[in-house]
Amino acid sequence: MDIIACIKRVPDTSEADFIKIDPAQRDIEKDRLAFKINNWDEYALEAAVQLKEKLGGTLTAITVGPEDWNEVLRRALAMGADNAIRIDRDVSADDAYTVAVILERVIQRLSYDLVLFGAQSEDFGSGQLGAMVAEMLGIPHATLVTVLEAEEGKVHTQRELEAGTLQSYTIELPALLTVHTGINQPRYISLRGIRSAMQKELQVMALDDPGLSPETLVPMVKLEKLELPPKGKEAELIAGAPEEAAERLAKILKDAGIF
Amino acid sequence: MSGILVVAEHRNRALANVSYQVLSKGRQLADQAQMELLAVVAGSDVDAYAKELAGWADRVLAVKSDRLEGLLAEPCQKIIAHLIRKIKPKITLMGHSSFAMDMAPSLSVELGIPLATDCIDIFWQNGDILVTRSIYNSKVNATYSFAQSETVLITGRVGEFSVEEGGRQGQIEEIEFDFEEESDYKKFEGYLEAEAGGVDITQAEVLVSVGRGIKDKKNLEMVEELARVLGGVVSCSRPVVDYGWLPSERQVGLSGKTVQPKLYLGLGISGAFQHVVGMKGASIIVAINKDAKAPIFSVANYGIVDDLLKVVPALVNKISELKGKTE
Repeated sequence: MDIIACIKRVPDTSEADFIKIDPAQRDIEKDRLAFKINNWDEYALEAAVQLKEKLGGTLTAITVGPEDWNEVLRRALAMGADNAIRIDRDVSADDAYTVAVILERVIQRLSYDLVLFGAQSEDFGSGQLGAMVAEMLGIPHATLVTVLEAEEGKVHTQRELEAGTLQSYTIELPALLTVHTGINQPRYISLRGIRSAMQKELQVMALDDPGLSPETLVPMVKLEKLELPPKGKEAELIAGAPEEAAERLAKILKDAGIF
Repeated sequence: MSGILVVAEHRNRALANVSYQVLSKGRQLADQAQMELLAVVAGSDVDAYAKELAGWADRVLAVKSDRLEGLLAEPCQKIIAHLIRKIKPKITLMGHSSFAMDMAPSLSVELGIPLATDCIDIFWQNGDILVTRSIYNSKVNATYSFAQSETVLITGRVGEFSVEEGGRQGQIEEIEFDFEEESDYKKFEGYLEAEAGGVDITQAEVLVSVGRGIKDKKNLEMVEELARVLGGVVSCSRPVVDYGWLPSERQVGLSGKTVQPKLYLGLGISGAFQHVVGMKGASIIVAINKDAKAPIFSVANYGIVDDLLKVVPALVNKISELKGKTE
């Protein structure tokens, strides 16, 4: 089974308490942030590698981004991808539609049975890209997949609805799935593994390789401005060393009749 | 005549809460622009839903077909695409549900129209529609406009728009829809409901809830201890289930359980909206998190900005001490 996994690099803002917006209100200041592979994409890669190990075939990892995005491709190669392609493009001002147009052009020229995406990205979280690419490629899709089994020519999947309900589908290949967290336990990749993946070749494409030009890529959704969220209701913060804070909280809970 | 079209969603014989939320938002946007509000509902038996929707919408389009057993993305995409082409609403609005995540992106490509998903605000500005989205782990708000288009597609974040009284009596129109021949490349096999687990967190008066910040499974031990001294139960956010550290029956949030305990004590939980919609009804919310900008602090009544691994053992001691005094 030939699989394509589309992945991206994101700033890790999950524990960052110093986010600043640039004066033009177009982007956040990224110099103090660490970058990583998008959480959902790690699950998609693991799912792809497991299918490849079980059924054979090839795994190609694709990303659309500038040069420092090579690191997510190195990670994919270390996890077990055979090929890695980066389409060289600064995507910071692109919407999902624009990136979908680029990916569709690249994917349609490759041979594949299954295309996997992470269900959404950590940074923007629009959750649009996978299903857009599927529609452009004219292949069936399912999003938010938490169970995936494959056999010759088809996949059995379950996708997640609200409140723990799952929706079960059998889909003929070629197909595209977007993978949700929890579908597997992504394998640990050591620095040594990533270093040895440096030996593997990484293919870099210019936009015009698949016949695109910057002028043809016009976003459908345009960023007007970024702002820090307005200060809403704030918790009453209990200050002090852990012992002190714990003591005050314990009293609050006791006074509230919790124990 | 252009208007605003709301796509209503239903499951288990009821309209989804998020459909009421976007319907209320749609009503407001329609009134502000003096437009008509339309609602569409599709299914095998939609009469009751249509009547309900007519409380908000000027016109309800009820699409009835046996093909619509279960709310599936593909047949619905065909219907909604057909209606958008025919009606040309200025905006088509849906809740940002699992159903919408499956359908809206492909629908926008089929029609070649702009799509903004998971919006926390939708508003008019000089006759144009703009949206605000919450990005970078809820730490930044981004406002977007749309490229020139007759019609745009927007999905609204679950729990973000308050439900207003309807009080209208809109017209209901039954719509016939001819499906082309069914293809079998994607076969729906059914729904699997969540299995009932050993512990029902929805019944607990005290929940000590852990998130990604717990760092290691072995740290659950001190959390169990804290739950025990408080007479409560341990619950969690999604990552903890993803890592396999707790079973899914303990998960609070959109894809897990909705809880309303007397005390919700969140440990190392950042407070992504998917989690918050499941716990914001708790009487007292306490958050312990070392990230002072974690969105959980805007939901919590009390907060401690510190390492939970230091605070939790201290808290266990202090609570035990205070309990010792009274007993």
